[in-house]
Amino acid sequence: MKTIIKLSKINKFIGQEHILKDVDLDIYKGEFVSIIGPSGSGKSSLLYIMGLLDSPTSGNLYIDGNLINFKNQREIARLRNIKMGFVFQFHYLINELTALENVIVPLLKRGVSVSKAKSIGREFLYKVGLDGKEDRKPYELSGGQQQRVAIARALSNNPEVIIADEPTGNLDSKNTQIVMEIFKQLNKEGKTIIMVTHELDLANQTNRTISMKDGKIVS
Amino acid sequence: MTHILFIALKFIFERKRQTFVSITGVSIGVAAFIVMASLMNGFQKYFIEQAIDLNAHITIKVKPQTVEDKIVKRYYGEDIIADVYGAKPEEKKDKITNYRFIISKYSKEPDFLGLAPHLVGQAIVKYSTLEKSATVIGIDPIQERNASVIDKFVENGNINTLLTDRNSIIIGKLLAKDLGIDRLNKKVIITFPNGSQGVFKVVDFFNSGITSLDQTRLYMNIRTYQAMTNRPGEVNEIIIKLKDVNKAEKLAKKIEAETGYYTESWQKAYKNFLQLFKIQNYITYMIVFAILVVSAFGIFNIIMMIVMEKRKDIAILMAIGYEKDDIIKIFTVQGLLNGVLGAIIGTVLGYGIQEWLSSIQIDVEGLVRAKGFILDRSFVYYVYGVIFAFVFSLLASFYPSYKASKLNPVDIFRSG
Repeated sequence: MKTIIKLSKINKFIGQEHILKDVDLDIYKGEFVSIIGPSGSGKSSLLYIMGLLDSPTSGNLYIDGNLINFKNQREIARLRNIKMGFVFQFHYLINELTALENVIVPLLKRGVSVSKAKSIGREFLYKVGLDGKEDRKPYELSGGQQQRVAIARALSNNPEVIIADEPTGNLDSKNTQIVMEIFKQLNKEGKTIIMVTHELDLANQTNRTISMKDGKIVS
Repeated sequence: MTHILFIALKFIFERKRQTFVSITGVSIGVAAFIVMASLMNGFQKYFIEQAIDLNAHITIKVKPQTVEDKIVKRYYGEDIIADVYGAKPEEKKDKITNYRFIISKYSKEPDFLGLAPHLVGQAIVKYSTLEKSATVIGIDPIQERNASVIDKFVENGNINTLLTDRNSIIIGKLLAKDLGIDRLNKKVIITFPNGSQGVFKVVDFFNSGITSLDQTRLYMNIRTYQAMTNRPGEVNEIIIKLKDVNKAEKLAKKIEAETGYYTESWQKAYKNFLQLFKIQNYITYMIVFAILVVSAFGIFNIIMMIVMEKRKDIAILMAIGYEKDDIIKIFTVQGLLNGVLGAIIGTVLGYGIQEWLSSIQIDVEGLVRAKGFILDRSFVYYVYGVIFAFVFSLLASFYPSYKASKLNPVDIFRSG
């Protein structure tokens, strides 16, 4: 299988704290990986580094076999835009924008025209089961619906990797299952998904589970 | 650029009240600038134009010089040493000799439009029981027109009467008013410094709008004046009109060097006023600057507030791939939008106030007399107003925007 993200001897310090200790990890294309571990184990830090949101203190990160230069902020931002889709515990939707407008924000950055972006955005809202809610503002949607808009936004740029940081942390079990089904469907369509969670039964629904403790991968 | 405008517009228009307040601030600043600048420059330009027209661009004069250290008497004796100094003006004749040569010489030079001789002195004008002192200017009506625009200020255009009737005079409108003369053809008695007296007929009024001149001036034919004061053929002042008024200082120096006579350019003659105008301008621009600074703080405030409230949105935008530059632009555009909208409303407001001011009819009496406000409605002030609004809003929004771009998205995602 082809490696999409490769970490080699990744260390991360935040202040004096040693968050990640010599982490080596390969993520393969088309995998649905979950990362579990107690809080403070470094799972979110690891996820942010893989998602190019944060830079490691030392070590190398390769995406599609290319070494990432974290000094080149512009290139990092571009890679995030085209390769990654983010879903967080909180939806981080922009309140001033409608559901559809929130979904097309990444497309606009790419230079897609507003009308074209909107037609693409509609498809993704349909995909997450929110057709008809395009013109609602985020605060007019339920928690589950908000999170699904966030997923549609993460998908709109057709990224290869979905980075999900406790995507169901704020959802009830029904909505949690809806989100998980969406993820599984996406995985089937070939997306690589990396999800941080602390719920074992969610982790069990993925292809591979990585457990972390004290900044190290234990299994 | 679409992505920046898209988000910036949504952010700013969701805050209608704050945006309205900050736009109002900018528009008041811009309108104040336009109105103040046009009022002040209108008045100053009017004053300077009138002054230039009235006082000749360059005047050649005979300047009385005091000779210092002139010992009048010296006592010298035992225990006594005393000098008595006199500060009386040197006995110098108040006259320009060979003035015909000077006039014909400079008339030929390309920088000069015309020259005219004057004989200037003081006199007492008496009408019934009232007496007023006046500055008498003896003019040659034909040559005078080459060097000044006297026709513009003479109410009935009767200057030629000075030629036909040697005992006719033109007096300042306010001087006439002070003497109680309200109609033409009244007769006044003029007493000259040498003691001679004559009866003169008022054939016209001189009305320049500048109070100090209208209150004191009296024109008569130079020949009459020469005859009355027993100074036949004498001239003590030559006025010069130039093609380019801005060359006055340079040319005045040149004439002074060549002829040896004292010269006075209009800038020198009105030095006090020009100085005063400068200070007036500084004060006005400082006030307007203060208004603009306050309105800039309005913009600064709203952008800063949006940035503080939008930390999460900024974080997600960065995660999505928006660069630091994009974030700076998103917030700077909002500031600029405030500035530009404020500038547009401000120019409209400024135009409206100008219209209103120019429609007001009041009698202004002071340094100048006018009916209503004198406005200089130059387009330039609008341009400056808009540029100021633009620059100020850019400056005001830059810091908050820069702050926004420095946010670290990870910090925000971690804290939830």
